[in-house]
Order: sequence, then structure tokens, then C-alpha cells
Amino acid sequence: MKKWVKKIRPPVQALLNSYSLLFFSNNKLFGLLLILVSFFNPYAGIAGVMAAIVSIATAYISGLNRILINDGLYSYNAVIIGLGMGAMYNFSAAFWLLLFVIVIFSVILSVLLHNFLGKYRLPFLTIPFVLCFWLLMLVTKDFAAIDFTYRNIYWINDIYAMGDPYLLRFIMFMENMQMPSLLSAFFRSLSSLYFQNNLLAGMLIAGGMLIHSRIIFSLIILGFAAAYGFNLVVLAHPEGANDYLMGVNYILVSVAIGGFFTIPSLHTYLWVLFSVPITFLIVIGLGKLTGQWNLSVYSMPFSIITLCLLFFFSLKSQAGRIVLTAQQFYSPEKNLYNYLNNKERLSNIHTIRLHLPFIGKWMTSQGYDGNITHRGEWSKALDFIIVDGQLKTYDEFGLDPKNFYCFGKPVLAPADGFVTRVENHIDDNEIGCINQEQNWGNSIVIKHAEGLYTKISHLKKNSIKVGVNEFLKSGDIIASCGNSGRSPEPHLHFQVQATPYIGSKTLAYPLAHFIVEKNGKPEVMEYAVPGETDIVYRANPSHPLIEAFEFLPGYNLIVNAPQMPEGHWEVFTDAWNNSYIYCHNSKAIAYFSHSEEVFYFTSFEGDRNSLLYYFYLACYKVYLSVEPALPAYDKFPLRLNRGNPLQWLQDIVAPFVIFSRLHYRSLNKVESPNFLNPSISIESSQTGHFLFYKKTLRNFTVMVKDSRIRSFTFQKNNKNLIAICSPKDY
Amino acid sequence: MAKLKYERPFIKKMVAGMMNKFGTQNELTPVTHIDGIAVKALIEQYGSPVFVLSELKMRQNYRSALRAFSTRYPRVQFAWSYKTHYNNAVCNVFHQEGSWAEVVSGFEYKKALANGVPGSNIIFNGPDKHLDEIKLAIENDSLIHIDHFEELYLLLDACAHVDKKPRVAIRVNMDTGIYPIWDRFGFNYESGQAWQAINKIVESGKLQLAGLHAHIGTYMLSTTAYGIAASKLCDLALNCKKQLNTTIKYLDLGGGFPSSNTLKGAYGLVPTPSVDEFAEVITSTILNYGFKTEDIPLLILESGRVLIDDAGYLLGSVLANKKLSDGRKATIMDFGVNIMFTSFWFDHKISPAQEVSQFSEDTVLYGPLCMNIDVVRESVNLPLLNRGDHVVVHKVGAYNMTQWMQFIAMRPNIVLIDTNNNTHIIRKAETLEYLEQMEVMPDYLKKQSSH
Repeated sequence: MKKWVKKIRPPVQALLNSYSLLFFSNNKLFGLLLILVSFFNPYAGIAGVMAAIVSIATAYISGLNRILINDGLYSYNAVIIGLGMGAMYNFSAAFWLLLFVIVIFSVILSVLLHNFLGKYRLPFLTIPFVLCFWLLMLVTKDFAAIDFTYRNIYWINDIYAMGDPYLLRFIMFMENMQMPSLLSAFFRSLSSLYFQNNLLAGMLIAGGMLIHSRIIFSLIILGFAAAYGFNLVVLAHPEGANDYLMGVNYILVSVAIGGFFTIPSLHTYLWVLFSVPITFLIVIGLGKLTGQWNLSVYSMPFSIITLCLLFFFSLKSQAGRIVLTAQQFYSPEKNLYNYLNNKERLSNIHTIRLHLPFIGKWMTSQGYDGNITHRGEWSKALDFIIVDGQLKTYDEFGLDPKNFYCFGKPVLAPADGFVTRVENHIDDNEIGCINQEQNWGNSIVIKHAEGLYTKISHLKKNSIKVGVNEFLKSGDIIASCGNSGRSPEPHLHFQVQATPYIGSKTLAYPLAHFIVEKNGKPEVMEYAVPGETDIVYRANPSHPLIEAFEFLPGYNLIVNAPQMPEGHWEVFTDAWNNSYIYCHNSKAIAYFSHSEEVFYFTSFEGDRNSLLYYFYLACYKVYLSVEPALPAYDKFPLRLNRGNPLQWLQDIVAPFVIFSRLHYRSLNKVESPNFLNPSISIESSQTGHFLFYKKTLRNFTVMVKDSRIRSFTFQKNNKNLIAICSPKDY
Repeated sequence: MAKLKYERPFIKKMVAGMMNKFGTQNELTPVTHIDGIAVKALIEQYGSPVFVLSELKMRQNYRSALRAFSTRYPRVQFAWSYKTHYNNAVCNVFHQEGSWAEVVSGFEYKKALANGVPGSNIIFNGPDKHLDEIKLAIENDSLIHIDHFEELYLLLDACAHVDKKPRVAIRVNMDTGIYPIWDRFGFNYESGQAWQAINKIVESGKLQLAGLHAHIGTYMLSTTAYGIAASKLCDLALNCKKQLNTTIKYLDLGGGFPSSNTLKGAYGLVPTPSVDEFAEVITSTILNYGFKTEDIPLLILESGRVLIDDAGYLLGSVLANKKLSDGRKATIMDFGVNIMFTSFWFDHKISPAQEVSQFSEDTVLYGPLCMNIDVVRESVNLPLLNRGDHVVVHKVGAYNMTQWMQFIAMRPNIVLIDTNNNTHIIRKAETLEYLEQMEVMPDYLKKQSSH
């Protein structure tokens, strides 16, 4: 039985997706609703489903990409063809043969267009449908075995024929419902994509869309209103709004440009206001041309204008105000929240992780654009010294470099890299003297990546222990702090530069992770630059935490919690070198990333009732350090914040203003201070912020012992549950 | 006009001869305040003599020592040496700063626990650990430093019946070029005894060999000795890794750093190496020894003296002046070797606590005991002092308040000056009642009411 379900699941998914994709969704329930609506015209409904089945089967048999098939990508055009044919022709053997042939051809067209346009990262929209349908319309007049139906005109007769008085009364009620003509035009145009002209169908579709996405819903209205307004001005149809004229093109363009293929924002909304009138022109203009052959334009104007604009957006040389959707979640809300969240959290993910080049607490004596020497092309540099409690840099009288706390202290490699230049022979100055001839003194330049070098200067004479071309690991001791070059008293000069020379100009580049002490209170800084007079140091790595969160590919974990399906997690790495935890049972996926200092999840896909989901929430961001133990703060994408009524309001205005936030906080705590094998708890929480209202939504505690994650607690349905993690035995 | 201070007449011997670079040391600069609090006021409030400790100085010393190590070495831990000063207030100052506890006896161990130090942050040293104390240490997951084979066997017996694997280290003694070698403590490195002990521990399978410990001496004036000690420990640690597949998690270099007191027999101011100099030798030796980055051991230091000696002062008063038979001046103070044990080792600096005349004379400083050994300074150039005048003895923070005797005189108050310059008694002066508290009178010796 289970096996059967497993087998039937993907094609059913593909079927539902073929329907929901027409309205920019991959919601299965919405797909089911759309199928139901399509059966308002039972002939169209049957033909639509048949077309979907034929196209999906064709795609499977042709060996196309299974994921894309299941997304409904190759079959949604076929669905429209089927719906159209069912609505236009009477059923006959010839009908089914024609449907069969044309649907297969639409799949082929879909694949070709997908590949052709895919190179430009463009969607093929409904072009296959329109081309196929034009072809049909042109040829079927000559086919004697194919005849047009009049059902559409006398569809109420068909309902009478079915004879259910309640249904009839209901439909008559719906049809005769008094509503502003504008509103009825709106609903009818929604139903027109299904070759229907039906209030109820339009209302159901509108309702489904509202539940699926508030942004799409608001864009539909915007598109419709824009078209209506434009008509009022140009008076192309002086009789005003009717469903025939409004059609579905404006609505589709509005959604595609305003929020589906772009990240919705004020600017995309403004573009909608431009694209609707131009669509209007194309609808009429193209209609004039196709009218020569008695063809309707169908959704061709939508495809044309959407392709034009998307291609135009993608050709900008600068990242502008319009951002194209990189990862499609089939919901403008999700796309938007994900984009905003990633922009905030992950924009530094490809930054080379540089660290402070010393051990212990030092003070930044001169920061970027410092007043002393960090000027002009060399302004983005940092000077470091060591101070005592009285901010003195030396003991005794400070007449000898040796009296200075920083003199002779070890200097570390800030990141992995190759040594490219070394200067090691310059004498250390007496206190107060400077050597302007050899300005930089003893220096070392390290190459970390193409165009990314660091240079450390004023080192102690003969203290550099590494040679040119030697490979350094981050944290290797490479030299000692000294007083050579233009240095009146011992200090360390650190700069990032784009070229490999001693004396190259500086480059502003952040340090990945350090701790800054402000008024004695430590605080973690990430991808930041120490400010002048900041006391800064490296976080002390906690090896038990590092090991617990190492998650190497192939690592297996069995997770159990009461009344929850067991989780069987395995760590994988995909072709793009992204690591993720995959749950074999729930099929959920949690992508993660980690460095020496921090572990964090980057995204989650799949079942939100799975244990992996709770683990993802619990360990969204964890510092791999307990000395000092400092809270990690982060923000969740807002799309996690479901089931909150305020969220709908937020969704509607999200393209313009974000007033709610989902905060994350975690804090490591040493439960037993045994330094060889401490047990560490990670307490984390999720807090919702809505304007001035704040509420803790969830609390988690993750226990780490013997360098392994032992358990985590979480809340479900107001109950505290504990999940036990145990490694899988083979 | 205020009455002029009485100054007794004196005769000063004319010393003819070459000038020398040492000059003559005298103690003319008065020290009237400690951390902003008048000595006079302290004596008025807390009596004479009285020990005064500066919390500020303790914390400064600790932070300075920590800075010396932590800016050179990635993982450093100090453990407060209880025997140096186990007054709970003092211990807690260092625990607050982040120190663990290093104890050498059962009662010190319990003191540390009571001070809130987690068991796993207590290092249990010393040659005399009783079975029940060892069991307690195992129970609390402490670091037990084994001193001799008998103790190792005792430990193996003790953990036979518990399912815990105690974390242990061995104390290693070695030739570091300093004599006498402290070879009475721990296992000898050169003879292979230490390696033998390590093998026994690892083979037993019952103990977790976590660290190696050396404590090469006290008041060490040579930094190279620490370099040698560190390299010998590193050698053992790397051999443990290579041959026994056991990663040594920490190296404990003990204590022994000198304070800036003057050892008896030293000429004038002998420069003592600073903590920085010791730190440089120790850390560079370990870091250059070839540990993998993730295997770099935690460095533990058990410093006591260097952190507290100069934070401690003894305030006292002059009881009498007299002339000795050979013509030397002698001054009798109200404190002596009974509460200043370290005067056997050091020529403690002593300053007057009030304005004095510019004249000074060579004086023998005696304590108040009626014992001939009670000599605080055999020869000190002091200004002319009268009965009731106060003096300040410097750098008495280490060992005195643990090694002091209750003999003839009672032990005085200990006062702590906190970082806001408030004073707190942290140990009350002893009373007769306290003295007799532990005495038990056999019935037959009890005083008869009527006889």
C-alpha cells in the first residue's frame, strides 16, 4: 500500500502543480481548487485533466528532468490547451486524437523554449499554449470531424439538463448576484484564463489566491485597476469595463512583473503601472493582426511584455532597484522575505574570513581614517597595542621597547594564505624615534585570494619565522610585534590590500568575527572593523561545540521525540558545495554553513512538523565558543511566521514596509565546567516583534555532551517536548 | 604654633672610604596612606599590629600576570595557590578574576569547594592526600596531581569501585639547572621515573591522564629554568601522544615566580625577572615545540606569591628603643616573627608612617616576643622613631597569613581595602576564647570549687 502511494505521489503532484502554476503557485490545495473550478465546464475540465495526464506521461517517458516534471513545468501549457479545446469543441474520436498530438507537441515546445530562454534566465510562460492553440484554430476549420460547440453560449441549458434544482438555484443566484459591474468584470476576467465566463469560478479563484498570497492578490487588483483606468483615459472601449475587454493579460502581467519574477517592491509596483498600458496596446495591436486570421491574442501579450521586461531588467550593468527572483518559492511573500533575510544574514557568506592577527586582548590605537598616519590611500588600516587597566601601554618608564606590553608578542596569520613578501632585517627603533626611510619596517604580506592580501608591519627584527611562498594556516604564529619602521613606539600595523607589495594602498575589508569590549562588556562583532580605542580579541574556540556541529557529509543521526515521527538525518553536500541535513523520513532539508566561530542554518525546505524543522529553529545560529559565552542574534525570514492574523496585513504592505520581525537569540552555557569535557547547553528563543508588541514564541535548549548533540527541547502545541539524538549504528 | 616633634639626640658614625655604587639604603620616605587610607586611622580603628591587604593591587597583579600570558598563548588558566593565602575573602578576589583553586591538603580542598569553586576547577596537589580526600576529589571531578607511586596505587584502589575515570596529572621533577633540585616532589624526568608513572597510569585504563605538572622551586630568579621545565614537559606530552596515543590536555608549570622582595644576603636591589619574562620563556618554548594547533595544551599557572605579596602590608608600632651592649641601636616593635614568618627569608622594606627627620641610623628591629630569635631586621637604616610611632612593612601578602604562629602574642586583624577604598575586616584578631576553644580539660584537672 505504502509503496503504491510512493509511486503515485509524484505524478499527482505534477498534476496539481500544472494547475496551480497557471496562477503562479505550487500550492497543492490551490491546485485542487483550480481543478474543481475547471469542472464548472465539465467538458473543459475533463479535457484539461486529460491534457495534463498526457503531457506528464510524455514528459516521464521522454526522460525529462523529474523535478521539473513534478513542478508541473512541462504540463501547465498543456492544461490550458486542454481546457481551451474542451471549451471550444465537441468531444469525438478526432478531438481526442488532436488533443493527444497537440499536447505532446506542447511538451516539446515547452522543453525547447525552456532551454532556449533558460540561457537568458527567462521563463517561457504560456508561449507553447498560444502557439499550439493558434495552430489548432487555423487548421481545425478544415477538419470535418472537429466541430465547434455552442455549449458556452447555452451553458445554463446544460445545467438544466443535469436537473439538480439546488445546484441550479445556487448557480442562478450567483449569476444574477447584484454586484458592481467592475467587480463582476474582475471575477469574470479571472475565470477567463479557464475559458470560462463565470462569476463563481472567478470568485473561487480570487479567494484561493488571497489565501495563497496576499501580494499576488493585491497585484491582481492593481493590474485590473490599471487597465480599467487606462481605458477610461484612452477610451479604447467606450462602453467601459467588460470581461471580454479586460481579459486576463493585465492581471498576469501585473503579477509576473510586480512580484513573481521580481522581488516585490515599490519599484516593481510602479513598473506594473507602466507595463499594464503597454500590454493594453499590445492586446489591441496584436489583436488587429491576428484578427486577420480570426485568431484571438489569448495570453500572448502577457508573454511578450513579461519576456521583454524581464530581459530588460536582467541586462542592467548595475544592481538596481529591481531585483529578479533568484530562488523561486512560488510565492511573492516567500520570495520577498527570503530575499530580505538572505540579504541581511548571508551577504557576507563569500567574504574571506580574516581574523585579528594576535593572541589575547589588544586595543585599536588607530582605526580606519585615523588622525595620525592612516590617511589618503593608506587610510583603511588598523594599529593595535596592548594596554593595562590604566590604559598605559608600558610598565616602568617606557624608555625601552621591551617595557611596552605589546613588544615581542606573537603575531598570527589572519587567515590561510601564501606568504608573498617578507622584510625582516630592519632594526627596531628606540622609543620616540622613527625610521622614515624604511617606512613599513619589518613586514609580511600574505595572499589569501586573488586580489586579497594582508600586510602586517613594524615587526620585531628577525622575528619573522616564515618564508616567501610558504603556506600559512589561519592562526599560525608568524612573527613578533616590534618597533621597526615608522613607529615611535611598539605597535602592530594591519591592513588589507589588493596588490602584493609592501607599501600597497589599503582596502577596506571587514574582519569575520571578533569580540569587542565596550565599557567592560564583551560583544561579538561579525564582518566588522574595530573602531579606535576598542579593546578587541578573538573568541576562544570551544572544541566540544566545534565537534558537535561539525556535521561532515555522511554523518547520521537518529532523533526521537514523543508523539513525533522519528527523524533519520544524514548530512550531504550538493553539487554547489552547499551542505545540508536531509531527513530520510520527512524529506525535509535544512541547509547550513559553518566556520570556526559560528554554525548557522541558511534555509529550510519541507515538512514543518518534522523534528528537523525544530532543530533548524533551535540552532539557527550558534557561536562555537563559551569563553566568553555571548548571545548570538539573528533574524528569521518572515515566512516562518505563519498563523498570525497580523501577518496578512504585513504581507499586503511587505513590498513597501516591514513592521514585523522574527528575532532569534541563542546563548551557550557551560553546565559542568569540566574543561576537558564540558557539557554545554545552548538556550535559544524565537521572538516575534510586531510594531511595539513583543512576544517570545518558542524556546529551545540544545544539550551538548562529549562533543555530541545529545538532545534538544522544543514546544509543540504548548507542550514541552524533548528530542533525543543518537548516532546511527551500522 | 604646633608643638615641634621631639627628636632625641644621636651620634652618627663617620664612615670614611671610597664611595660605592650601592650607596646606603635608608627608609626615610614615610608611607602615610595605603590606597588612600591613613595608616594612623587604620591603626586607630583596627589596632596595632594589623595586616592590610589592597584588593586593587591584587586585581592589578592578577590582570597584569594574565595579560603577560594571555597575549602570548591562546589558552591560559591561573589557579590560586591556597597555601599562599587561604583567607576566603582573598581567595574569592582571585576566583572572581577567573582563577581556579590549587590546594595541597584536604582542608584547603574543602575551603575551595565552600568558596564555590566547581570541583572540576580544583587542582589537588601535595604529597599527603588521604583516601577520603582522594575519594572526594574523584567525586567532584577534580584534577588530581599524583606525587608518588604509593599515591598512584591508592588512587587506583579508590577508583576501583566508582564508575568514574578520574582526571589526573603527574608531578614531574627535573634538572633545570637550579639547585637544589626539588626532587622530593613528584616523579623524576631524567631517570625515566616520570615516563614509568605515565605508562602505569595509561595502562591501568582506570585513570584519564589529562595533564603534566612541574613546580621547579620557589622564588625563582632564573627564567631559563622555566624554559627547560616547559620543554621537558612538552617532550613528555608529545611522547604521550606518539607512543601512548594519549593527548595531554594541559601543562601545569606551577608557581614560584618571585615578588620584588629582597632576599636575605642580596645586595641592595637585585632585579627579579618580571612575570612577562617568565611568560615569554614558557609560552615560546611550548608554542615552538611542535604541537598541532588543536592539540596545544592549556597552560595552567599556580602563582601565589607574585600576585599577592606586594598587596599585603603589616602596620605596627614602636614599643621601645634601647641601646645594645655593642652600641647598636635597637627598636622593639609590636610585631615579630610570630606573624611575619617571611622575615626569615627576606629583608622586608619598612617605612615610617609619619613625617620623620632627615636623619637615620642603623637599627636592629626586634619583635615583641621574649625569644631571642624574634628579629625582624638585623640591620635597617631607619629614621629616629619614638614609642607609639607607626611603621609600614611592605610586601608581606604571601605566606605570612598562613604560616603565622599563635605564640606569645595573638594573631591580629586582617583588613581588606576594597577597590572603592572601603575597609573590611576579613579576619578578626584572635581572642583568648578563640585560643581555648579547642582545648579540652580532663575532669580530674578541673579546678575544684572548694578544697
